[in-house]
Amino acid sequence: MSVRRRIAVTINGQLYEHEVESRLLLVDFLRDSVGLMGTHYGCDTTSCGACSVIVDGRSVKSCTLFAVQADGREVLTVEGLARNGKLHPIQEAFWEHHGLQCGFCTSGMLISAYFLLTRYSDPSDAEIRQGIAGNLCRCTGYLPIVEAVKSAAQKRRKS
Amino acid sequence: MSTSEKSTKLVGTATRRKEDPDILLGQARYTQDISLPGMLHAAIFRSPIAHARIRAIRMERALALTGVVAGFTGQELRKLSFLKPMAPFPFQNRDPFQKGNPTIKFFDHYCLAADKVRFVGEPVAVVVATDRYIAEDALELIEADFDELQPLIDSDAALAPGAPLIYEEWGDNLMLRFRVSGGDVDGAFRRADLIIEEEIRSGRFTGTPIETRAVVASFEPSPKILTIWDTTQIAHPIGTLVENTIALPELRVRVLAPRVGGGFGQKWSFYPEEVLIPLLSILTRRPIKWVETRREHMVGTIHAREQTHKIRAAVLKDGTILGIKDQIIANIGAAYPTGGLASIVTTGMFVTGAYKIQNYEGEVLGAVTNKTPYGAHRGFGKSEACFVIERLVDIIAEKLSLDPPEVRLKNFIRPEDFPYVSVTGPRYDSGEYGRALTKAMELAEYRKWREEQARLRRDGRYLGIGTCLVVEPSSSTRMGSYNAGYYSVRMRMDPNGKVSVFSSGSDEGQGHATSISQLVADELNLPFDDIVVVEGDSWACPYGSGSYSSRFSVVGTAATTLAARQLKGKILNVASVLLQKPAGLLALDAGKIFVAEHSQQSVSLKDVARAAYFSIFRLPEGMEPGLEILYHYRDPNIEFHPDERGRVAMFSSFPYDAEVAVVEVLPETGSLKILQFVSVHDCGNMLNPLIVRGQHLGALAHGFGGALYEELPYDENGQPLAMSFKDYFVPTAMEMPTLTLEHMVTPNPFTPGGFKGAGETGTVGPPAVLANAVEDALRPLGVKVRQVPLSPFYIWSLIEAARQGK
Repeated sequence: MSVRRRIAVTINGQLYEHEVESRLLLVDFLRDSVGLMGTHYGCDTTSCGACSVIVDGRSVKSCTLFAVQADGREVLTVEGLARNGKLHPIQEAFWEHHGLQCGFCTSGMLISAYFLLTRYSDPSDAEIRQGIAGNLCRCTGYLPIVEAVKSAAQKRRKS
Repeated sequence: MSTSEKSTKLVGTATRRKEDPDILLGQARYTQDISLPGMLHAAIFRSPIAHARIRAIRMERALALTGVVAGFTGQELRKLSFLKPMAPFPFQNRDPFQKGNPTIKFFDHYCLAADKVRFVGEPVAVVVATDRYIAEDALELIEADFDELQPLIDSDAALAPGAPLIYEEWGDNLMLRFRVSGGDVDGAFRRADLIIEEEIRSGRFTGTPIETRAVVASFEPSPKILTIWDTTQIAHPIGTLVENTIALPELRVRVLAPRVGGGFGQKWSFYPEEVLIPLLSILTRRPIKWVETRREHMVGTIHAREQTHKIRAAVLKDGTILGIKDQIIANIGAAYPTGGLASIVTTGMFVTGAYKIQNYEGEVLGAVTNKTPYGAHRGFGKSEACFVIERLVDIIAEKLSLDPPEVRLKNFIRPEDFPYVSVTGPRYDSGEYGRALTKAMELAEYRKWREEQARLRRDGRYLGIGTCLVVEPSSSTRMGSYNAGYYSVRMRMDPNGKVSVFSSGSDEGQGHATSISQLVADELNLPFDDIVVVEGDSWACPYGSGSYSSRFSVVGTAATTLAARQLKGKILNVASVLLQKPAGLLALDAGKIFVAEHSQQSVSLKDVARAAYFSIFRLPEGMEPGLEILYHYRDPNIEFHPDERGRVAMFSSFPYDAEVAVVEVLPETGSLKILQFVSVHDCGNMLNPLIVRGQHLGALAHGFGGALYEELPYDENGQPLAMSFKDYFVPTAMEMPTLTLEHMVTPNPFTPGGFKGAGETGTVGPPAVLANAVEDALRPLGVKVRQVPLSPFYIWSLIEAARQGK
């Protein structure tokens, strides 16, 4: 049906080599080929952001990229945020501020917050809201997430 | 905390959730994450037409595609003698108690349509393939011929004499008629100084959880066990419904709802895919997975809210509301087995809202149309009722030149009236509506904004202030249905002294494991982390009706607390044998049971637990071995037996919220800015303030969505116009206003913890309070706001119409 290609993608620091159909979406590659189920599928139109991951330092929606487009690149998924079993400060802050309920959008939300904090050391509320505007959440009403990101930024500045 | 430390109480504290680390690490498992050896993937062919006869569905080309394993049409499935139509829900037993009111017509829908399609998105055929991509390719190869019929989109058109019939055998398009009345309504209208008559509409919108629906099924032929992983709020009922629908002898169904990514009522329904995917597993003898696409979700998962109210109010000059008559017409789409009927009946029950109005007559008509079926959505019928009564109060105030809060305060049910039996029968538990509204107005600086409004009006600017009081009846029951007014918990202290709780609810993000652990930790003075909670497993957990109607915080917490007390009694009884002291003299804390007067005389909890399981020779003959109990809590504020006026009480808890909104409307564009939003919320005692705040904020966000952005429109051919998040606008972080939140506490006198529901109240208010604020803003133009959503186009159209004197 469609062409297959061999790709090599570094995910959370580990190299994965797979032969994939050229039409395979990155989100399906991560979930089904590699088995990292933390990246979620929530819409068909690049709208909800549940599938957000970092590719070569930039936040992308993995439902809108083919796996072959990630060939030779570095991908960070939610599973790569914690180090040695210790939650990343952003994860800690989401926990502390009740920034998640059902948790389905959370992986993408954490990735967008992580990306935001690579660009801003002291983001304003407006910058945080804008930074997560591509991620839909139906549980929290967003305000606790904004508080969590703000607090993670503050803690990072202090440390 | 180790077991040797003295415990501190957790109920009432902002305890961090034990669910969160797994989720944060990306390790929580949802239905779409389930993968089984040999699993196949299903894709569903859905009707592209709103109303048509199916002439032919040809599957040959789809079946010929490499990788496609099987495919079926509705007509083929109809030939299976063991496949039954989907049972109605939740009026499962065609309720023997209803005595002709409501009158309901039923239709035997199968999981795939065979003869006729009745809405865009109705499942018609299915293919199963080795991967999802191939299954979707195959859908494109299905050839379907339809004879189109005239679609019905509007409920008035559907009820008009001579309208085309969606279900020919019914003779009309009226699925449900419900009448409810009480008091002397005609007398009230005779005594009135003023009679107000209005038509008020709620738009069609829905919950759209970020996790779409998904079903995975695996059938083992011997014994015939069907395991279903399902994104459902109601694991046990789904198991029973599937057993009734796939009527194979000896078939036993186990339903597992792993972590569920948001429900909001949309996962409280019985869906065709919950029969179809398990059936495919039986037919192919392979595990089958189906994950709904968002496009499918927008048409194949229930919608809600669409209602038109023709309401009349009898009013005295001083603002006293003497009586109300309301005719409610709900546009309920196709007649699939959803909770939609129950939700529109609920609207009819609660039109009087927070007000002491004992003369009321309501009629609810549920009209079928060629739209997606109508079902439950957070706020379940009460949101529509609140929108109507709270709009009406503002309209009354305007006609009588009174300030709207004054009319509210005049008509509120007063603190001394509780428990208050409403005209329709429910017994309101407790509340102080006047204090809540007054507090909200103080926090919002209501008087200051009124002055500001007058000043800005002189400059030609349109500032408006809205108020409302939401009552959100919670923890509902329905006679003869699955939501049966009780909650069951199985609780076990294992030989290691740790506790497992098997709860009959289900969690879609509410944090039940945390709340249950807080309650049990306090009753047994155990560490929070020593308690594990299991939900969403129809075999492991006691039978129950799952989660809906914000019932967990009412009946779920009560069942948990009382179960823990019973378990404690059992522990003390065993300890009493070991310590040779009467159980009444014993206390449990810090992992020990000790004699209250002589704390040095003690036995460890572990020793007691071990003795209960492994040394029953030490226990007297009559004492049950083990430390395990099954507890059923019956909701005490539900009344099944009609009173002298024939009324029953089907909702048991009444949280409420006073809201004040200040908006500025830009007349050039019809857009609005929320300048201030205050909510004073009372859900009784708070079990976990962190979770309560989260629930309330999330509910308010749904309310803002429905009030301002979310709408599911159809064109004249019945084609849905909102098919993704690109055209169905849910609020993002950019739209969520900054809020002032305050809590008030009037405990629920009917539950041990004093808790009321907390999950839905916020959803209800924003449509009403924002519509009130917009009409207030545009009062100089004489604009009448009679529906939501308050889209810029709608507001602009109202302004234009008012300017042209229409």
